[in-house]
Amino acid sequence: MEDDDESPPLAVRIDELPEPIQLESSLCSDTSGGNKEEATVGVTVITGYLGAGKSTLINSIINGQHGKRIAVILNEFGEEIGVERAMINEGDGGALVEEWVELANGCVCCSVKHSLVQALEQLVQRKDRIDHILLETTGLADPAPLASVLWLDDQLESAVRLDSIITVVDAKNIRLQLQEYRDSASFPEAFLQIAFADVVILNKVDLFVLENKGGDLITDGLEDLQKEILSINSLASVLQAVRCQIDLHEILDRKAYGANHLAHLEALLEDSKTAPGSSRHDYSVRTLCIYEELPVDLNKVRLWLEDLLWEKKSHMDVYRCKGVLNVHDSNQLHTLQAVREIYEVVPARRWRVTEQKMNKIVFIGRDLDETVLRNSFKSCIL
Amino acid sequence: MDGDSVTQAESTVSCARCGKPAHLQCPKCVELKLPREGAAFCSQDCFKAAWSSHKSVHVKLKNDEAFNHSEELQKNWLYCLKKGQIRTPQCPHFDWTGTLRPYPISKHRVVPAAIEKPDWAMDGIPKIEPSSDLQSRVEIKTPDKIERMRETCRIAREVLDAAARFIRPGVTTDEIDEVVHEATIAAGGYPSPLNYHFFPKSCCTSVNEVICHGIPDARRLEDGDIVNVDVTVYYKGVHGDLNETYFVGNVDEESQRLVRCTYECLEKAISIVKPGVRFREVGEVINRHASLSGFSVVKSYCGHGIGELFHCAPNIPHYENKAVGLMKKGQIFTIEPMINAGIWRDRLWPDGWTAVTSDGKRSAQFEHTLLVTETGVEVLTGRLQSSPHVFPWLSS
Repeated sequence: MEDDDESPPLAVRIDELPEPIQLESSLCSDTSGGNKEEATVGVTVITGYLGAGKSTLINSIINGQHGKRIAVILNEFGEEIGVERAMINEGDGGALVEEWVELANGCVCCSVKHSLVQALEQLVQRKDRIDHILLETTGLADPAPLASVLWLDDQLESAVRLDSIITVVDAKNIRLQLQEYRDSASFPEAFLQIAFADVVILNKVDLFVLENKGGDLITDGLEDLQKEILSINSLASVLQAVRCQIDLHEILDRKAYGANHLAHLEALLEDSKTAPGSSRHDYSVRTLCIYEELPVDLNKVRLWLEDLLWEKKSHMDVYRCKGVLNVHDSNQLHTLQAVREIYEVVPARRWRVTEQKMNKIVFIGRDLDETVLRNSFKSCIL
Repeated sequence: MDGDSVTQAESTVSCARCGKPAHLQCPKCVELKLPREGAAFCSQDCFKAAWSSHKSVHVKLKNDEAFNHSEELQKNWLYCLKKGQIRTPQCPHFDWTGTLRPYPISKHRVVPAAIEKPDWAMDGIPKIEPSSDLQSRVEIKTPDKIERMRETCRIAREVLDAAARFIRPGVTTDEIDEVVHEATIAAGGYPSPLNYHFFPKSCCTSVNEVICHGIPDARRLEDGDIVNVDVTVYYKGVHGDLNETYFVGNVDEESQRLVRCTYECLEKAISIVKPGVRFREVGEVINRHASLSGFSVVKSYCGHGIGELFHCAPNIPHYENKAVGLMKKGQIFTIEPMINAGIWRDRLWPDGWTAVTSDGKRSAQFEHTLLVTETGVEVLTGRLQSSPHVFPWLSS
């Protein structure tokens, strides 16, 4: 009956209403990733052998006095059962809240997002505020498939983004594990976990010390171990820890997969930081770096990468790739990122006047041949 | 809230009365969750002047809500929930994005025993598909399989054409579903969507703001609607999948433009298909053409490999993406762009299937099943001589 009013009600301001409609022009490439990434919730994947200290790490994060509201997904059941258990701390020293995250099963086949991603998005939407998500994996031999599921296209503007992969390694046992298999064709998880990690937490250094008594030998031993890890993966940050006590700032918001905020972008441009050190041990999984100053043709780079990552004509197995490119006819520094076959080359920012334009690509993989990589890349030069 | 800086920001809505940028909205429309279009005004004055004609929008909706679908409820038709696993007599609550609402659906249709069925027909759960290695590698089809797919896709085309001939104002989407169901089983095939992850019907009917996976129900098509019918037939052990968007009666110009543009997006995408082309290029072509017309591309759903499985590798997004791989001779997949008049985002209805545009504006789609040949592409679900002439831009 109120609609029979002669006089209209007071109109309300649109900007005060929830969810204003945004008509976007998909034509303009939005490289102002800054704000958008700030609003998304980072997902950190935590891998590591049983007993290395993952649970300790997660417990210390979730119980720590850091004021951050963190959700931990305990990967206990897998997709079969269709639910995952999540623990969320209230952030202000409040109690732990248990949530069930339901994996949407059914018709994920013609949907672009994996059920895990959809579940994480729903979690973020449901809760008041989540600052970060930790995905604890149990017995995950190869993190690459999980990384590719979580490494979403920017275009999807998802509420969640893959922030980094962290592997917890037992300092006491790791060297033996690596040495035992360095020549073997069957790869233990240790190599794959280190190869795909953005952060390696070298845990139980106190026990390592105990095992290797004697002053200089200890520091040499630890430094040596660190070098070995870096020779496998020079892109990772190695943090030493006792009982996984880590400063949260070292492991959260790494932005390791952001196109525009490519972590260590500046480090990549600096020579010393990416040149893999020499290691006494010749592991078949290692890091390589190629460098080329002359500008390259972007199309040729794509074809070269696809040959390497998709066609796999050579015996080389590339796990991970990160680099900067000096693209012909562009004042934009382009970044390159790859996880197994999935790769992305995007313009990141303008080259600074003071900068030396260059192409620099770091490879992590098995049976890498530096000569082959360097020579084949030369074909991309204009 | 800092209002000032926002007022100077661009308004993406125009005043319904004078066309100037609008920053105010009718509060009754907000309360009833009606679309912003036609309910936004530049000033209280314009709103006041438009009030007597505008307020009729509220009344129309009230009538719709008062409609209790008693006719259907008497026949024991119910609303669908939980992807089809549950039925309920009450229309579910939701902040509907447009004017469309779900209606009750009819009973589960029967498929004769003699017809070969996929493994989800009985219990709603695909078993072979989810765990098949065809989810991670793209199959190169054998000549025998290709021949079967040609046959199945042709049947699917004939079934869709039968549905197309049936469309006019006044028919319900349930009746369209019946046409599809009957035509499919008459040809000896199984309608793949039926009971696929509990989907309750034999085809998808997506009206106006529904992007895809609309469930056929008791709603009558109205003059001015656009409706997509998505048919998949399972015959001789393989699936054939296609869809088209049709005009119901007299459709406004903007909708005609949308539907035609979507048709062209698919056409352009198909034109680049040949061995050696990257899967990701499909998204680039579609995105470019849709953007040029001012439309957006739905990102949540994608094209897919098809064969003995309904959905398998490759995944082919219709937007710019990182899809891995190159097309090779012998691969068969679908391309099915969904193009929106407004924003690209989608939302899911309480039934768990129906995807709608988040802004309530219309969406159109077209789909074909394609075979990559030595030199190009073969459109397995292509139009036949006998296909009805329902698209004004295709001259006979």
